[in-house]
Amino acid sequence: MPAPGSLVLPLCALILAPLLLGIVNRTKAVIAGRHGPPLLQPYWDIAKSLRRGAVYGEVTTWLLRLGPVGGLAALAAALLVMPFGGVGAPVSFSGDIIVLVGLLALGRFATVLAALDTGSSFEGMGASREVHFSALAEPALLLALATLARVTGSFALTPVYQAVAIGAWADALPTFALVGMTLLVILLVENTRIPVDDPTTHLELTMIHEVMVLDHSGPDFGLIQYAAALKVWILGALLAGLVVPVRSGSVWLDGAAMLVGMVLLAGVIGMIESAMARYRLVHVPQFIVGAATLSAVAFIIRLV
Amino acid sequence: MSPLIETIHAVGLLTCFALLATSRIGACIRWLSFQGILFGMVPLIVHDDGLTARAMLLAGGNIALKGIVFPWLLLGLRARADFNREVQPFVSFVMSILCGILILALSVWLTQEMKPALAKAPFVMLDSSIFLIFIGLFLMISRRNALMQVIGFLVLENGIFVFGVITVVGTPLLVELGVLLDAFVGVFVMGIAIYHITREFGSMDVDRLTELRG
Amino acid sequence: MYASQSIIAALALPLSGALFCLVLPRSHHVLKTIVGVSAVELLLALNIWAAVLGPKGFVTAADQWFYIDAFSSFHIVVLTLVFALSSAFASIYFTHEADDLVFTTSIARRFGVLWLGAQTAMLLVLMSNNLGIMWVGMEATTLLTAFLISLHPSRLSLEAMWKYLIICSVGIAFAFMGTLLAAASIQSDGGIGADALFWTKLASAEAHLDPTLMKFAFVFVLVGYGTKAGLAPIHSWLPDAHSQAPAPVSAMFSGFLLNTALYCIMRFATPVRQALGQDFASGLLIVFGTLSILVAAGFIVFQRDAKRLLAYHSVEHMGIITLGYALGPLGSFAALFHTLNHSVCKSLAFFAVGRLGQRYGSHEMHTIAGALRADRLWGVSLLISLLALIGVAPFSIFMSEYQLLRAAIGAGAWLTLFLFLAASAVVFVSALRHMINMVFGTASRHDRGGRDGKLAVPIVVAAAGLLIVLGVWMPLPFYHALSSAAAVLAVRP
Repeated sequence: MPAPGSLVLPLCALILAPLLLGIVNRTKAVIAGRHGPPLLQPYWDIAKSLRRGAVYGEVTTWLLRLGPVGGLAALAAALLVMPFGGVGAPVSFSGDIIVLVGLLALGRFATVLAALDTGSSFEGMGASREVHFSALAEPALLLALATLARVTGSFALTPVYQAVAIGAWADALPTFALVGMTLLVILLVENTRIPVDDPTTHLELTMIHEVMVLDHSGPDFGLIQYAAALKVWILGALLAGLVVPVRSGSVWLDGAAMLVGMVLLAGVIGMIESAMARYRLVHVPQFIVGAATLSAVAFIIRLV
Repeated sequence: MSPLIETIHAVGLLTCFALLATSRIGACIRWLSFQGILFGMVPLIVHDDGLTARAMLLAGGNIALKGIVFPWLLLGLRARADFNREVQPFVSFVMSILCGILILALSVWLTQEMKPALAKAPFVMLDSSIFLIFIGLFLMISRRNALMQVIGFLVLENGIFVFGVITVVGTPLLVELGVLLDAFVGVFVMGIAIYHITREFGSMDVDRLTELRG
Repeated sequence: MYASQSIIAALALPLSGALFCLVLPRSHHVLKTIVGVSAVELLLALNIWAAVLGPKGFVTAADQWFYIDAFSSFHIVVLTLVFALSSAFASIYFTHEADDLVFTTSIARRFGVLWLGAQTAMLLVLMSNNLGIMWVGMEATTLLTAFLISLHPSRLSLEAMWKYLIICSVGIAFAFMGTLLAAASIQSDGGIGADALFWTKLASAEAHLDPTLMKFAFVFVLVGYGTKAGLAPIHSWLPDAHSQAPAPVSAMFSGFLLNTALYCIMRFATPVRQALGQDFASGLLIVFGTLSILVAAGFIVFQRDAKRLLAYHSVEHMGIITLGYALGPLGSFAALFHTLNHSVCKSLAFFAVGRLGQRYGSHEMHTIAGALRADRLWGVSLLISLLALIGVAPFSIFMSEYQLLRAAIGAGAWLTLFLFLAASAVVFVSALRHMINMVFGTASRHDRGGRDGKLAVPIVVAAAGLLIVLGVWMPLPFYHALSSAAAVLAVRP
């Protein structure tokens, strides 16, 4: 049962988000035959960054300082409307689907502005790529969520995800399958995982997201790392909420099922990252548009 | 039976989009083969009287021809002609996909127009058939390679086949098999034509066939 | 008498002739076979025509699977006439090619098989009662005639063949879609069974056809068969195919294949008119007809190749015939008369251009000059046929176009009338200019000379004679035949 007004869910998200990144990295390492970093490594990385001092370039303005803070703030606000499968979000109103996408866009906007503010060509290149791909991914995300809204008959995220039970799946199997595939692709795109961007690359010319934050250091960088983890959590919750149709009514059962789903999702991301290579940049738009098509097809099928 | 029909519909739509977006001819041929087998199953499930001998003959014939024989012929053609294995489209892949979405909307609208008159036909199959016809036409227009034009023609034939199966119940087998005959002989003839063209021109690039103008 | 047997014989004869051509040892044997078969076919067709014009009004065979009424028997006679003329011309044309060692035995055999096979398929289209079989016949003609275009494989002829194959295959697929829709529409009446697609059933007053489905069916059929008929804007294969194919093949295309496709469209038009009233079908036919005339007129102005010029004339005349069919009974009469006139005239024109092209080595109009002086026979026939094509009196095309104008005035189609006259004027001027350059003027240096076989004079005399005679006198039996054919297309109350 949703507990509107309760902040327990966002707090759990805030605490558990970096764990997902840890699971992803561990999965990749295990598949590669290594032991890999500890599961809690992202926490230590963020803590390490927070303890350091920051260095700011001489040409930068307040935009650079605003970037990480703005990004984190937007994502934290998005947590307020984000349901966790059967567990309701603290804030729910009709149209909060658009609010979610808008907050994600706001966070991206802050980061991009900060990147452009540095005046460096590397960041500029990263910013342009980031915006290029989001211009394609955002309609895809909206289409996917719109299809879900159409199927479940509501415009608020919490009721939408409440309705995705086993019965709904049996009813609309092709539609949900297609939307799920789209959400997976968007997850990979927005969080700059392979096959869109390689998070472990050290070659600036091949980076998209990593290169935007080259000039951030110290606490700013820690905030950025933390915001990235939150983004994985949010988009992962969108997908896991769809794929795990456990709606028993009990908060603990639903929440536990979702947690299992999120962990499995992180494992799947790790497996995808290990199995695929990064696409050439010219093929990425095709990839994203292909995902958007899946949702468009699901939407049009449902129209009739 | 309805979820099965809907799944065939959804996957069929996806095969069309895959054909619009694939850049290698061999992959296109394999998508075509998959599509042929998928829609070949329609006669078996779409009518209430189920697995009649006629339905099985139609389904078997279509699966054999469109799923196995034609792709084999097309792959043979591709192997014989030594040329660029990439599809060269007039319309870029992303634009093709977007056009495909527009065509999907158009076909849904057309289906809604036609549906009242065709009470017994499942809506989604009607939509699939019209969509296949238009996508086949679009593929023929927007691709430069002669082999891709033949593939587009076969997609068109798939659409007509599905349409025939779901709307025409009583007329004799003769006419429905006419589609398969048409496709078979058509592909044969086109294959021979492509062979001659490749021998003469050295490529299957239809864009080079531009000397006759006015 | 023996009308039903004539039907079966008329189908079996060219089919067996085609198979026979596969084993003939020499190219001139093939040519002789073709001429012989066509002559017999013409006699059989006249026999059937006489039977149809008798009291019963139609002839059937094979349990109503073949059904020939006044409309189809007229077309069958025109078909066999054009085939006979073209086969005779082919024997002259290819004999000259054989002299140049271009017409080898294997090419001759291929020509014989495809030629007679195409004739069988076209007869099947015209004789069949079942609209599905009609479609199968049209499909067969597409596939057979494609290889006739590229009889001598070259870059240009292969290009023309490929374009023809692709465009017409799509057209045939659309036509099949239309046939399916027609079958679905009669089904909604509960009429299922083996004879559901019989035209006799569809066109009878008792058939309750679903209007929406018939609407869609007619659109698909018009676009589909219209591709094969050379109606604009789907005519783009026509100029290429006509200009690259050998002259007898071009004559057959213009003389008969286009008309066969129009025949198929009109077979569908009757049930559509029954179900939806006059306006829908006529409106669409007027649009396509007028568009064809206008487009053709535009392209005729700047043509440089003689055969392409004739091809665009075909588009124009097909547009005129389509227009005629849309303008009521008087218009249908004019259209049918025009069918005969155009087929004969266009065949003669292609014969002349083909033979002159052989003499001069090219079909470009600036190469063919002074034809009248160089070759008396074919120069005169070029003169006569081109004059007739642009509608000069006293040739028969003038008469049929005049009757069409009367029908248009009678139907009150003023805009159509105006556009038709404007386009005709443009065509008149430009084609006349082209003709004067080709027929008069100093004889070209490229002339290669050569004498024609003994069939040449009879061909020209027969064709030109028909054009002149029908231009001044319409025999009463012929008038009755055309009226009954036009009556078939009218809506039964």
